Amino acid sequence: MKQKSISLITIVVLFLVGLFMPFILKQYHLNMLTEIIIFSLYAVSYNLLLGYAGLLSFGHAAFFGLGAFVTAIAIIHIPGISLWNVILIGVAATVVAGLILGGLLLRHKGSYFALLTLAFNALFYAVATKWHSVTGGDDGLSITRPNLALGFTSIPLSSLTTFYYLTLVIMGAAIVYCWYFTNTAMGKTVVLMRENEDRMKFLGYNTNISRLILFTFTGALAGLAGVFYTFHFQFVSISAISPDMTTAILLMVFVGGTKIFWGPILGVFVYVIFQNYLSNVTDRWPLFMGLIFVLMVLYVPGGLSGVIMNIKQRFFGKKNNNGDKTAQAEEVIS
Amino acid sequence: MSDIPVFFLHGLAYAGLLFLVSSGLTLIFGMMNVLNFAHAAMYMVGAYLSYTIIMQLTGQFWMALMICPVILFIIGALVERFLLRRVHAQGHLGELLLTFGLAYIITELVKWYWGNYPLAVNVTGFLSGSITIFGFIYPIYRIFVFFSAVLVGGIMALILYKTRLGIILRASVNDSEMTNTLGVNVPLVFMGVFAFGTALSGFAGVIAGPFLSTFPGMAQEILIDAFVVIVVGGFGSLGGAVVAALLIGQLQSFGVLLIPKLSVALIYLLMAAVLIIKPSGLFGEES
Repeated sequence: MKQKSISLITIVVLFLVGLFMPFILKQYHLNMLTEIIIFSLYAVSYNLLLGYAGLLSFGHAAFFGLGAFVTAIAIIHIPGISLWNVILIGVAATVVAGLILGGLLLRHKGSYFALLTLAFNALFYAVATKWHSVTGGDDGLSITRPNLALGFTSIPLSSLTTFYYLTLVIMGAAIVYCWYFTNTAMGKTVVLMRENEDRMKFLGYNTNISRLILFTFTGALAGLAGVFYTFHFQFVSISAISPDMTTAILLMVFVGGTKIFWGPILGVFVYVIFQNYLSNVTDRWPLFMGLIFVLMVLYVPGGLSGVIMNIKQRFFGKKNNNGDKTAQAEEVIS
Repeated sequence: MSDIPVFFLHGLAYAGLLFLVSSGLTLIFGMMNVLNFAHAAMYMVGAYLSYTIIMQLTGQFWMALMICPVILFIIGALVERFLLRRVHAQGHLGELLLTFGLAYIITELVKWYWGNYPLAVNVTGFLSGSITIFGFIYPIYRIFVFFSAVLVGGIMALILYKTRLGIILRASVNDSEMTNTLGVNVPLVFMGVFAFGTALSGFAGVIAGPFLSTFPGMAQEILIDAFVVIVVGGFGSLGGAVVAALLIGQLQSFGVLLIPKLSVALIYLLMAAVLIIKPSGLFGEES
């Protein structure tokens, strides 16, 4: 109970801090913060798959990119479409894609699953590249953000500040919902399935359906992040749907740590700031990305949040996993 | 449509190359249960090394064909011994991410050293000529690509099924702990398999140089195709890799001829179809 109220207070405080950011930050940094918030939802949705369900997917960008492209295509081809309908169409498309792909791919596990998701991501990427008349191919698609219609009034989103607030509210709400989801029966089921699937089956859970729901759910969240990605940049290119976008999110989540709910968000902060800095200094960014990957796997498999939790445990010593490292150390802390 | 035999031969040559790349991949996967994302990067190293050896040092294609696999064998052994083995305890997630990171590092280092542009590797002498088949003039090199794949595949099959080493390898796949208990040094076997698989990808890289040319995106291009080969053929199955490589080689070749717009999507459609009908691949065992 105490744990929960602390989390709630944290969320409220973070939201209030977020409200004041446009008064403090310069335009450039506010831009970066908006990007971080969008990628945070993408990362959190990915971690629900990787950290909570133990499914390593190399195809999450297929959903992110699908949401991004559907958004751009809807705005271009349906004149006067409202913001809410764009979001609705974008998310609906990813839900359909999630159900189809999930039905095909979830029969496999482990490396097989990873490989297949990569192949399907490559398929989406190939289609986006070749289908020039719809996706714009290498040129990409440019859009302008539709106004935010609230029924009684309509707010133009052309300024970054108003769009930042919209992002903060919707992305924030989605992330909080993810956090809530991990505490629901469904969220617990997913974690338990990862730990011992046979026992869950024996207890009467249909693990295939649960996994499909989770896969579709996380896909839809990634799609929502993709919708906002297009809104944010007012442009979408094939890089949004490329396997590199999956790599990026994998790195963010892995750097942040998969064992803790807020780990990936930390990873996004580190990644975006680090990349912005490094790409000014060097054009060998992929080399550093690879090095970070290898070094993290070898020396810090728990990610940055794991390091922080370890330090916290050392100083405020709740040694609840002393001597019994197997089950408790593995458990996801929410 | 009178070009059909030519396209068939194109398909065979590409199938040969695909087999050389994916056989190493499927061998490592079958033995060690590691999906090696760095495999195509090693193939790229082989191709660029062969450029240095052929175009800058010796001028001999055969030299590259002998030296590159040896160098990559050593690289593979080192990677297995000092990196992969250390993360083995983390399960397949750690291993996947490690090879994934390695793929980035290797690709980037190759671009750094050799430059971010295509390099032409030329063969001389007998291989650069052409012969007449079915009334068409066809480059000998492409036929050579196919037959070198046949040769490598034949030798691998002989080793796996006719020698004592093959028995040890197959036993390690089935139950590595039991094989270890029986006195076989399984970690050494794994190191050997990984090194051999890497050497194979280096061999494929040398072969690919004069065939598809050497360019910075070559690793990514072949990686997806090789992955599709082992999905369609069945994970860890050498025979499956043969059939799938032949199938995908022809599909690529005739896809460009018949439906050029859809040709990139064809191999994915094949993969989706196989997954729906037989999820474990054509020759894969049900897990």
